[in-house]
Amino acid sequence: MNWFKKRAWIYVLLLVFFSWWSMGKTEFEWSNFKEFSNAVTFIREQFFPASWEVIPALIDPVLVTLAIAFLGTFFALLIALPFSFAAAKNTAANPLLYYVVRFFLSILRSIPEIVFGLIFVVVLGLGPFPAVFAILLHNIGVLGKLISELVEAADPGPQEAMKSVGAGRRLGNLFSIVPQIWPNVLSHYFYRFEVAIRTSLILGFIGGGGIGQKLINDFNSFNYAAVTVEVMLIMLLVIIVDLFGAFVRKRVI
Amino acid sequence: MIELENVTVYYPKAAEPAVKNINLSLEAGEFVCVLGPSGAGKSTMIRTINALQPVSEGTVRVQGESLASMSEAQRRSWRSRTGMIFQHFHLIPRLTVQQNILTGLFGKRSSFVNFAGIFTHAEKKKAREVMAEVGLSQMADRRVESLSGGQKQRVGVARALMQEPDVFLGDEPVASLDPGTARAVFHLLKEVHHKQHLLSLVNVHDVTLAKTFATRVVGLSNGEIIYDGPPAELGEENLETIYGKAIHA
Repeated sequence: MNWFKKRAWIYVLLLVFFSWWSMGKTEFEWSNFKEFSNAVTFIREQFFPASWEVIPALIDPVLVTLAIAFLGTFFALLIALPFSFAAAKNTAANPLLYYVVRFFLSILRSIPEIVFGLIFVVVLGLGPFPAVFAILLHNIGVLGKLISELVEAADPGPQEAMKSVGAGRRLGNLFSIVPQIWPNVLSHYFYRFEVAIRTSLILGFIGGGGIGQKLINDFNSFNYAAVTVEVMLIMLLVIIVDLFGAFVRKRVI
Repeated sequence: MIELENVTVYYPKAAEPAVKNINLSLEAGEFVCVLGPSGAGKSTMIRTINALQPVSEGTVRVQGESLASMSEAQRRSWRSRTGMIFQHFHLIPRLTVQQNILTGLFGKRSSFVNFAGIFTHAEKKKAREVMAEVGLSQMADRRVESLSGGQKQRVGVARALMQEPDVFLGDEPVASLDPGTARAVFHLLKEVHHKQHLLSLVNVHDVTLAKTFATRVVGLSNGEIIYDGPPAELGEENLETIYGKAIHA
C-alpha cells in the first residue's frame, strides 16, 4: 500500500464523489434510519406469533421450489459443461468458436431470471415450468463462464501427458481437466443451486409457482403470520442445500 | 529408426531458435542421455520426436516417414507408441494409480470406449502386471496426489509402459527427485529398456547418471549438438564446452 502517492488521494476523492452522487440518485437520507425501529415493531406485532398450522399446506410448494431450483441448475450444469470447454482459451477448438460461445454465455448471463421469467410466463403460461426455464437459461451463462475460468486455470501438465499417449483432443481435455476442476465445479453448482432457491421465490411472485407464489399471496392478503413460516421454510431449505453441498464436496475431495 | 535432419525450432517472439540444425540418428536398443544446461534446448529437441513440439525448419523422420507429412491420426498413432515421462510427472490428480496407468491405453482404443471409461479384464490385468513391474502393486487404489515424488515417477513410467512403446522419452524425469530416488528410477528405466529392447532418449542434468546408464551421450549447448558419442569418451573438456566453466564451480 502506498498511501502517500498523489494518485491514491485522487482515487479517494473520486470514491467520495461517486458515493455522494449515488446517495443523491437513490434519495439516501441518514435521517431515514430512525424509521427502522418502525420495521422492528411492524415485524414483532404482525409476523409473530407464526401460523404453524399452515405447514401442511406449504409442503408441496416447498418441494416445487426445490424441484424448480434443482432442475434449472442441474440441466444448466449439463449444458454449461461442454460450452465451458468451448469458451476456455486452452481448450477451444478455434478462436472464432471461443469468441462466439463467450458472447453467447455473456448474453445469457446478462439477462436476469426475472426477465426470462416474465417472457416465459407469457409464452408458456403460469406455473413452475417457465421458472425452470428462466433459471436454466441464466445459469447456463453463469456456470459456463465460471467453469470456463476453472478450465483455463487447470494445470496443463496432464493435458500434455494425454496428448503424449496419443489421446484425441476432446478425450484428453475431458480426462485431464475434469478431475482437476470437479470439486470447484460442484462448489459453484451448489452455490448456484442455493441462489436458484432464492430466485425461484422471486419467480413465484410473477406466477412461477412454488413457495414464492404462496409468500406473495399471503403478503398481499396481510397474512403476515403465514409469511413468517414461509420465510423460515425457505431458510431451512437453503441451509439443507448448503449442508448437502458441503457433504458432497467433502466426499468428492 | 528416428532421424532428426537439420531440425530448428523457433518459439514465438524469441530472437534465437531453441534448437538449431540438429542432426541425429537414433536406433532401437540405444539408451541416449541428453546433457546440457537449462535452456540448452534439451526439452525442445526431445518433444519434436513425438510431435508435441512442431519443428520450424528441417525434418523429423520415424522409420523413414516424416512426422510433418503424417495426418493427425497418424501422429496420434505414433505418439501412442512413444512413452513419455515428465519432470513433474503430469499425472491426473484425484485419479488412482491404476486409473492413471490405464490412461496410457487411450491412444490405442476407440474414442467411444475411452469416453465411456470401459476397460477390459485383459487391460486391467496388463495394468496390474505393469504395476508389479514398477513396484506399485500395493498402491493400485491410492490417489496419485498421496504418493511421494519417486512413486509418482514410477506411475509415470508405468503409464508409458502401458503404451507398449517402441520409444521411451524422458524429459528430465529425475530432476525433481532426490539422488537416491533418481538412481532408483534410472535403474527401473534401464531395466525396462533392456527387457523391451526400446530406444530410450532421456534428458538429464546429472552427468554421473548419464555416464553410468547411457550407451550414448548427446551434449547440447545453446540449441546445438556439441557432443555425440559414448559416455566413456565424455571428458572434462567436453563437459566444459557443454556447461561452460560453471561445471567446476
